[in-house]
Amino acid sequence: MLNTRIGSLELSSPLLTASGTFGHDPSALAFLKPGDLGALVLKTVTLEPRHGNPTPRMCEFTGGVMNSIGLENRGLEHFQQVVAPDFSGLAMPVIGNAGGHAVDDYVAMVGAMHEMPCIQAIEVNLSCPNVAGGSLPFATDPDAIQRVMQACREATDKPLWAKLSPNVTRMAPLALACESSGADAITVGNTVLGLAVDWRTRKPALGAGFGGMSGPAIRPIAMRMVYEAVQAVNIPVIACGGAQSADDILDFTVVGAAAVQIGTAVFRRPDAFSIIAAELRQILHQASTTLDELRGSLEWPGRVS
Amino acid sequence: MVSLSADARCGSALITNTRSCGNDAFVLELQLSAPIGELRAGRFAMLSPENGAGPVIPRPISIYDYDGGIKISFLIQILGRGTRVLAALRPGHKVSITVPLGNGFPETIFNREAVAVAGGVGCAPFLTWLRQREAQSKNTHMIYGARSADRLYELDAFQQAPGRLVCATDDGSLGFVGNAVQAVQTEIAEGRISSDAVFLACGPAPLLHGFAAWAREQKVEAYLSLETYMGCGIGVCNACPTPSSESGAFSDWPWVKTCIQGPVFRLSDIRF
Ligand SMILES: Cc1cc2nc3c(=O)[nH]c(=O)nc-3n(C[C@H](O)[C@H](O)[C@H](O)COP(=O)(O)OP(=O)(O)OC[C@H]3O[C@@H](n4cnc5c(N)ncnc54)[C@H](O)[C@@H]3O)c2cc1C
Ligand SMILES: Cc1cc2nc3c(=O)[nH]c(=O)nc-3n(C[C@H](O)[C@H](O)[C@H](O)COP(=O)(O)O)c2cc1C
Ligand code: FES
Repeated sequence: MLNTRIGSLELSSPLLTASGTFGHDPSALAFLKPGDLGALVLKTVTLEPRHGNPTPRMCEFTGGVMNSIGLENRGLEHFQQVVAPDFSGLAMPVIGNAGGHAVDDYVAMVGAMHEMPCIQAIEVNLSCPNVAGGSLPFATDPDAIQRVMQACREATDKPLWAKLSPNVTRMAPLALACESSGADAITVGNTVLGLAVDWRTRKPALGAGFGGMSGPAIRPIAMRMVYEAVQAVNIPVIACGGAQSADDILDFTVVGAAAVQIGTAVFRRPDAFSIIAAELRQILHQASTTLDELRGSLEWPGRVS
Repeated sequence: MVSLSADARCGSALITNTRSCGNDAFVLELQLSAPIGELRAGRFAMLSPENGAGPVIPRPISIYDYDGGIKISFLIQILGRGTRVLAALRPGHKVSITVPLGNGFPETIFNREAVAVAGGVGCAPFLTWLRQREAQSKNTHMIYGARSADRLYELDAFQQAPGRLVCATDDGSLGFVGNAVQAVQTEIAEGRISSDAVFLACGPAPLLHGFAAWAREQKVEAYLSLETYMGCGIGVCNACPTPSSESGAFSDWPWVKTCIQGPVFRLSDIRF
């Protein structure tokens, strides 16, 4: 009933993990019932190990959390030798997520993930707003996106996804840059850049200063961005941002999302995918409809002159 | 690679009782949907109200008492929004719970003289610990400190538990006058506790820092149960790191995950 396709990938459910919120360890899968999670998107890996940002790395605001993890990870070599082997033989597709600071980094990551049999598709993280380094994220510039995605496309024929950022003015040119570079799908999007401060200490609440907002508070932003991307391109758009219930999944579906990634909601309920999948089956059954029927069925209000 | 413990479960639990302890703390008693098996003391749960109220993420709380079946309880101090919404729940309400999490106190020390050093609500993990030690060893002490006598939560329960209890209050309203670390020093100086004992501390950060400084200086074997900010409690978010020491068990990476590699650490394994 929940079967979903993202391009050539067949999934048992439209629910995916969001990169960086389900770790690098399959043991949290034990909380889920088989079939409820459509695909497992792994945390971003970079070529070199990254120690990540100073603490505190997470704080809260009404309706969400803000994080500045800083892409802590042990690098590609560790991923190849220690992490990836744990993910072979899983029932659902495993999606690698590649980070980088330069086109060459991305190409090396995608090339390496291309060689790993346990990775069925590769998501390119063009959007993490946390990493300091002065330059704007790739995801804010259509030319930069094109340079990265074209080079990555040459490095693999596995399904290649581009993960975009909501920290932009308009989504369409960026989504089009992904499509014209040969991306198979687009994930929209990452965290929303924010700042929390404490007037008592006169310091930012997070050790790195700025942070990325996630959770229900950013859902309307993600909804708009998904809408714009769906209107602009013909490849599948995967929604990500603030989903926490079956209704949220169906809202994204009506807007046109092929599937939905769930991040922050997992912290409160590690079995969120199973709860939401059960809710989805029940709602679809009661409403006598299907995901395919709902997908992209949004009726935009007509203009009243 | 370090993994989430295999016995961790998540689900909802029914609140069977709530009872206040003094002005700013309460005991939350839950009925789990299924038993979680034998538990080492010092492990914790992630808790949040099931009705969606309160913060987006759950709160880490030590297991205070567990009957081995489906009855589990927590001793919670009300600090901010997360603990306030938990305190507002009543019998019949439900909470989301992921439990048991973390490593707990080391079992290798059961045949040694051991001393629990607790500050305020940091006493919570030690009730189970005292009971578990009773079977193996009588050589157990608990130094229980707080600002004042009314912050010595659940004092009756600790007085009835096995082991020798020494209370300390900053204002002298009960027991030793001073904090728990000062009380430990006095106990050692007066020969009631040996400095060869193993020391386990849990409590507010200032107490833990004082304890760590003393333990380093005296070169005693020391463990700390740490409280860091936690997003998930299950090792997936990287929000909870504690710096690792260059010579300890985790020296291959500058951080340890407090939630799954801790919350109990040997002092020499971390930078604190
Ligand atoms: C493994 C572990 C076990 C724990 N066990 C218990 C327990 O058994 N009983 C219990 O009462 N608490 C326990 N805590 C601490 C508890 O998780 C926090 O007090 C709680 O998360 C605070 O949430 P809040 O929303 O009420 O406060 P917030 O709104 O998050 O914070 C309110 C105020 O409290 C301060 N604060 C927040 N967290 C802490 C902290 N960890 N230590 C000191 N000050 C803090 C904040 O700086 C702020 O000033 C434990 C923590 C960990 C990591
Ligand atoms: C703690 C944390 C870590 C994250 N790490 C990554 C990451 O490594 N790579 C990435 O592409 N996105 C990362 N994200 C962003 C999420 O994948 C997701 O895009 C975002 O949280 C919005 O979805 P949500 O509201 O469902 O959480 C992270 C988010 C959080 C909260
Ligand atoms: S709290 Fe999420 S990794 Fe430790």
